[in-house]
Order: sequence, then C-alpha cells, then structure tokens
Amino acid sequence: MSLENLLGNWSQYRKGHEEGGFHDYKHLWGMAIDLDICIGCNACATACYAENNLAVVGKERFEKGQAMHWLRLERYWDQNELDHPAQGASFLPMMCQQCDAATCEPVCPVAATYHTPDGLNAQVYNRCIGSRYCSNNCPYRNRYFNFYSYYEDSWPEPLNMQLNPDLTVRDKGVMEKCTFCVQRIRVAKDNAKMENRPVADGEAMTACAQACPTNAIVFGDYMDKDSQVAKLWKKHQVKLRLTKQNKENPELRGYRIFEELNVDPSVMYLERVREEV
Amino acid sequence: MYNEKDINEQIAWAKINADVLRSMENPRKGYWLAVLICVLMLICAAFAEYIQYTTGMGPANLNNPHMWGMYISTFVFWIGMSHSGTLLSAILHIIHADWRKPIYRFAEAMTTFSLMTAGLFPIIHLGRVWNMYWVLPYVSDRGHWPNFRSPLVWDAFAISTYLSASMLFLFIGMIPDLAICRDNAKGWRKKLYTVLSLGWMGTDRQWRNFRKTYLLMACFLIPLAVSVHSIVSADFAMSIMPGWHVTTFPPYFVAGALYSGCAAIITLFVLLRYFFRFEEYMTTPIMEKTCKLTFAIAMVWTYLNLVEFCSVWYGHDIYNKEVLIAKATGPYAWVFWIMIFCGSVVPFTLAVQKLRRHMPTMFVVSLLLNLSMFFERWMIVAPTLSMSHDPHQWDIMYASVVQWAIVFGSFGWFGLLFLVFVKIFPSVSMYEVKEMVFHRRRHLVNEEAAARFHRRKDDSQTTTGEPGLEGA
Amino acid sequence: MSKHCVMGLFSDFDEAFAAISDIRKTKVPGVSVDDVTLKSPIEHPEIEEVLGERPVHVQKFTLFGAIFGVTFGFFFLAGAQATFLVQPQGGKAVVPLPSNFVLMYEMLIFFAVWCTFFAYLFLSGLLRKRHTLYSEKVSLDQVGILIDVDEDCLEPIKDLFKRHKALEIREEVLR
Repeated sequence: MSLENLLGNWSQYRKGHEEGGFHDYKHLWGMAIDLDICIGCNACATACYAENNLAVVGKERFEKGQAMHWLRLERYWDQNELDHPAQGASFLPMMCQQCDAATCEPVCPVAATYHTPDGLNAQVYNRCIGSRYCSNNCPYRNRYFNFYSYYEDSWPEPLNMQLNPDLTVRDKGVMEKCTFCVQRIRVAKDNAKMENRPVADGEAMTACAQACPTNAIVFGDYMDKDSQVAKLWKKHQVKLRLTKQNKENPELRGYRIFEELNVDPSVMYLERVREEV
Repeated sequence: MYNEKDINEQIAWAKINADVLRSMENPRKGYWLAVLICVLMLICAAFAEYIQYTTGMGPANLNNPHMWGMYISTFVFWIGMSHSGTLLSAILHIIHADWRKPIYRFAEAMTTFSLMTAGLFPIIHLGRVWNMYWVLPYVSDRGHWPNFRSPLVWDAFAISTYLSASMLFLFIGMIPDLAICRDNAKGWRKKLYTVLSLGWMGTDRQWRNFRKTYLLMACFLIPLAVSVHSIVSADFAMSIMPGWHVTTFPPYFVAGALYSGCAAIITLFVLLRYFFRFEEYMTTPIMEKTCKLTFAIAMVWTYLNLVEFCSVWYGHDIYNKEVLIAKATGPYAWVFWIMIFCGSVVPFTLAVQKLRRHMPTMFVVSLLLNLSMFFERWMIVAPTLSMSHDPHQWDIMYASVVQWAIVFGSFGWFGLLFLVFVKIFPSVSMYEVKEMVFHRRRHLVNEEAAARFHRRKDDSQTTTGEPGLEGA
Repeated sequence: MSKHCVMGLFSDFDEAFAAISDIRKTKVPGVSVDDVTLKSPIEHPEIEEVLGERPVHVQKFTLFGAIFGVTFGFFFLAGAQATFLVQPQGGKAVVPLPSNFVLMYEMLIFFAVWCTFFAYLFLSGLLRKRHTLYSEKVSLDQVGILIDVDEDCLEPIKDLFKRHKALEIREEVLR
C-alpha cells in the first residue's frame, strides 16, 4: 500500500542532495575535457550530429538560434578583458553537464527530465510537453528545443539511411539535449551483464570522446576508482558535491563550470595554458 | 473642494432595477461593431495558432535562450489583470467599504475573464499542446504523475483554484440579481435566468446563508489571490536565473497585479459609465476613490521596483548586476524606460484632483498604466533570457507576427467575453446598490433626526424649559 | 382543517418589522414567529433579528472542506511522489515539504470553496421549485412576509397584515 510505503520509508523520502539522498549510484558517468589538448576542430560536434540523429537546420534557422547542436564549441575572443588576436579565440566544447543537482529537473511540470540511477540527467521525449522551463533554468543553456519538425527536411533521400537506428528522431515540440550517448552506455552495460562482469573502463565511450583526434575528451565511470576519468578528477583535486574546490595546489587546472551555483556538474574542464602576449 | 455623495440616496429601488436592466437590452450598432472587431481579432489569433500548431514553435521566433517569449509575459499580464477585481471586491467587502457596490460586479467579471484569457497562454506556449492534460494529477495506469516540485504545476493548481473560486464568488454574488432578471425577462432569457438563479426567492433563510457564504468566500479569496500571483512569480523566482531568482518577486508581482487590475477597472469604469449611462451609479466620487487606491498601489509598485534594483545593485552578484544594467541600457532599454515613465511618473496624475475627476484623462492614463504593466512583464521575461550565465548564448529576440497575433487576439477574446457578459448579466449589482442606497438613506434620516433633536433641546433649554422628547 | 399559506407585501422594512413584532408578541394565537418567512429585495440583518435566532451552518462545511483539502492534499501529493517511478530529481528530496505546502494550501482553498458553495446551495433551500406565492415585487422593492397557518388563524393574520398597511395579501390552500 502506498500509505504504508510512504510512512515506512519516510526518512528516506525526505533526504535531499545535501543529506546524501540518492547517492547509491552504481555508475556515475563523468567527463574530463582538457582544453589544453583541444584544438577546436569540431570533430566532436560532427560526431555528435552523426551519432544522435541531430537535425541540420540550415543557415536561416541557425541564425535565429534554433539550431540543435547538442555539443557546441563556444568561442570567446576577449578572455580576461585582454584581446589575444594573435593567439586566436579561446574555446571550449560545451555539452550537457549532467548535473547531479540539475536545475532543469525539478522545474519540469511532467517529470520528463529526471535523474537516472546512473547519475545521468535523462530526457524522456515521449513525456515532454514542451513547456521549455528546463531550458530556461539551465545556466549552460544546453537544452535544445525542436522548434520545427526538423526531420522533414534535414535528411533528404538517401541521407535518411545514415540515421542511427539505436535512438529516435524527435518531432516538433520536444526538448532534447546531450545524453552522454546513453544508447552506447546501454550496450556496454548489457554486454557486461551478459558476461557477468563489471563494465570495463573505455567500454562505454561517447561519440565525441571517440571522435576527438587529440583525446581531449575523456569519458568514463566516476564510481570506478580505476577509470581514467576518476583518476583525472583525483589528480586535479576536483570533487563532486562542492560549490568551491579547495585544492592544495592552486596550479592544478581542473575546474567545473558554474559549480558555484550548486548544480554539481559532472564534467570537469582542464584549463588551457596560454602564454603571455 | 468637491463635496459630493458617492451615490444619491434618493434613487428609487425600482429605478435601479430599470436602469440596470435597460443596460442589458437592445444592443446598439456600436455594440455589434465592437463584437465584430473582437471576433476579427480572435480570428487573427486562431489563424496564428493554427500555423503554430501545425509547424511548431519556430514561427513564433522563439529560439534557444528565448524559450519563453511574449506568451509568458502576456500570461503574467492577464493574471495580473485578474487580480484586482476579486481581490479588491473581497477586501472592500470585508472592511465594509460600501462604495465598492456599484463597481464590483464588472470588476469581478473582468477577473474571471482575464483569468480565462491568462489560462490560455501556458497552453498556447506548449510545444505539444495536445498533451497539456499531462500537467494534471490524474490517476494513470502507467503510474505517471506530474512533477509536483515544478512551479508550472503549482500554476495549474493555483489557476484552477482561483478560476473556480472567483467564478463562484461572481456567481454567488449574482444570484439575487439573476432572480431580478428572471422576474423581468421574457423568452430565452427567462429560461436562462430561471436556471441560473437557482430558484432564488429572497427569503430570510436564503439571505442569511448568502451573507455567511459570501463572507466566507471573500475570506478565502484574499489569501488565494495573493498566493496565485506569488505562485506565478515563483515561475521566475524558483529558477536560478539572474534577474529571476529574486526574493521580493512575490510581493512585487502582487503589487504589479493589483496595479494593472486597478488601471483596468478605471478603463472599464469609464467605458461602462459612458456607454451604459451609469452616471448615477458609477459616480465621480467613486472614481476618485478608485484613483486614490490606484495611486497608492502605484507607489507601492514603484517602491518595490526600487527595492529590487537596490538589492541587486548592492548585492554585487555579477550575473544579476549585469542583467540589471542591461535592463536600463541594453537593447530593451526603451521598453524599460517607457515602463518606468508610465508606471511611476504617469500615476501622479491620479494625485491631482482636477485630473482624476476628468473621465477622458483617466481613460488615457489608465491605458498608459496598463501599457507600463505590459512592458513590465516583458522586462521580467526577456532580459534574463537574453543575458543568462553563459555569455555564448546571449541573444536578443523580438516577437514575430505569430506571437503578436496571438497576444493581440487575446485582447479580442477578453473583449468578446466581456461584451457578452454586459449584455447577459447585470454589470452593476442591483441588490447591493439598493442596500447602499437604503443604508445611506437610513443613516441620513437618523442624522437629521439627531440634529433636530439637538436643535430642539437647545431651544427648549433657552426658552420654555420643556424637555424635548421626540428623539428618534 | 386545511393549512393555508398567506403572504403579505409591505412597502418598506419598518412596516414588516412591526408586523413580525406583533406576530412575535402572539397577537394571533396559534401562530409563532418560527413559521414566518421574510422575503426581501436586499439582505438586512437588523430586520432579521426580529425573527429570532435562526442559525447558519455553512461555515461548518467550509471547515470540513478546508481540513479535508489540506489532509487529502498532503497524502495525495506525498503518496503520488512516493509511488512515482521517477524519484530522484535535481538533488531534491522525494517528498519535498516546501513545494507540497504550496499545493496543500491551494487544495485547502479549493475544497473549502467548493464545499462552501454546495453547502450554500443545500442549506439555503435553493435548487427547488419556487413557492407559488412568489411575488416578483419582492425582487423589486417590496418586503414580503410569508406564513403557514391553520384555517382558523387565517383571518386574524390577514387583519394583522392590513393593520400594518400591507399593499397586497395573497393566500393559497396548501392541502
């Protein structure tokens, strides 16, 4: 009975993020992106388009800001109020940060976006009614809305043959965003389960990480202490569930974007080292 | 300076009935013209909505940072409009301010209709309108529930509660008047009013229960109305966006709501007074009182604006401050300054007695005030979306024709509802105006008697020494 | 002996007040003030006082509605959240009290208001066929006194009405 369930598990239901609610993750998928290695080639974004059936919207709609790039390369020309025209822009690949305390989740009226036991911030397309509140509450603005039925003209014959059969093509009116290639994670987990072993590091690999020519993007399971990503986080003394990292060595480059907002992002960036002009 | 009465005590009850019932008869050509205009506006909106429904939200010009555009700001605008009718009616009822009686009916109708307009906007702005009922907590065999943490679900709860409560409040208050209509109507109207008046006979039992019920409803409506606009403000304040995540938003929204609602009351007051020749009921002193109230609320709103600016300015939160500066100097600055001018400077005309007694001036002023309120809502929604945390996603958006058409049409929808209302239902409460007249007359009689008594007592003391016995 | 129903119409409250006061003082034997129904175009608590204590029970239903709304609200929301498949969200507790309080508040008012409305319909004797002696003048500007009497009291009551300048007297035989 639900009342019995409610009263019996009351204290568990009342635990929030801060008191350790829902921390018994089996996996916690995370990422580390080394901006110093990143050459800004956009291969990750292209791979994302190919892997996740992202619609190509065309120049006009792109200019209107109605593009669907789950992973975008943000370019900034005036870092620290100094222009570095000689060195070019500074840039970073930006995708959904799969926040642990994601601000998009509590505001969705129909719970179309929720937290999976894998620590992923999932989006259920079928449940979405398109209120777009999640996007408005995302500090990274990393959620993309299907303003049109993009599929109608994104893949003219025979380009529709290239669509990835592992995931859907979204119709108008639903929100979508980077999933950390959840379809690949699914396959890796299923394989491991069938062979009755834990998921090995590198078995689940996002399309962007796979496509990166310089291996700037490292993806893996944060709960697996031996994974490359967990080691990197440890090495740079970046921890989850903090709004301010207290590093022993301030020279370490690791940081999380907007972690002071207490959204607890799962992506760590490694700062780019730039020479003085 | 001006020493007039709110209402002439000597109006006969029969005349009140006749005057109000007359207003419901024989629509003139102008009325049908107004209806036609409203229908055309509505057709514009329906056409735009058809485009949007079939092609998606793209034609509305919404884009990645600007996920909410004018739909949501117009939603807040209409919700705000809905505030003063019921809220003022309930508050003034509880504090026994009887000057509310000639004007509360149309104000409450305005509440209900603007709420019915407002409720459309969250639906229109959904990407998949056809699934809107998913927001409601119904038992589904898939075990699905809405997310009760979401302020949008709170909105759905609050608006449905407010809509039903204010409709009931309007309806209960109208039952005695519907009985009057029933007794004087013929044909289809007779049938309609017979059903709607629910067999009202004016017995003491009905009046007793009526009095209690009306008071109870008023008591519930005051906190409800405050909570509804607080919840609407929670749509913004519960987010973490700079310029939205503001603690003073609930009172700020409530003040803004009262403000635009009062301004709308003035607009409709002037229109009804002119078109229905209600000069005897909607009198200049009542207008003056409404204007004074509006002025007070305007100053509260101005104050809360200043509080918000100051707390952001001295808070030194970099994101918030950036948005605040962008409001005053950025691409939407012209909207901002019109809002400040019309919202904080124009209301000073309400403080000038000569001006607030001049109906055409007040009509224009009230429209300006509501223009300011419309812009205020845009200034809440748009600058934050255009300048959030991530500078890469900064963008400026102006609403497209589709958005404008739907917003435009919403005024037609509201106008149509109101036009239908004034011809089918009494827009001045007959029985309460009778009460007002009755009580004031009785008060006058008592005062005169007391004065006579004192005069005679003085006379008797000085001359004959006989005690004056004729008291009441 | 048949039962009759009489209604007198008066031009103002003072006459009606005096008439009821006379009935109260049992000027007519066998007629009590409890049988009197006052009909008026406006609500008028001062005049109704002469009818004696006649209780109103609407507020009890309101209280019931409010209490029901808030308790049902809580268990409904918390139960739904606890049984919902999608539980961990945004780092918040599964049953977040602050947001539930907001909804409970709305549900309190929702149920209280509807209970009040239905109690009102039920308790004030609405939704019934109108009395055959209903006069349209009551909704205009006259005050009516309606009273059920036995046949032998009929004439004295009519006389009493006439003494108080009743404008019109209607009667009908009930059975």
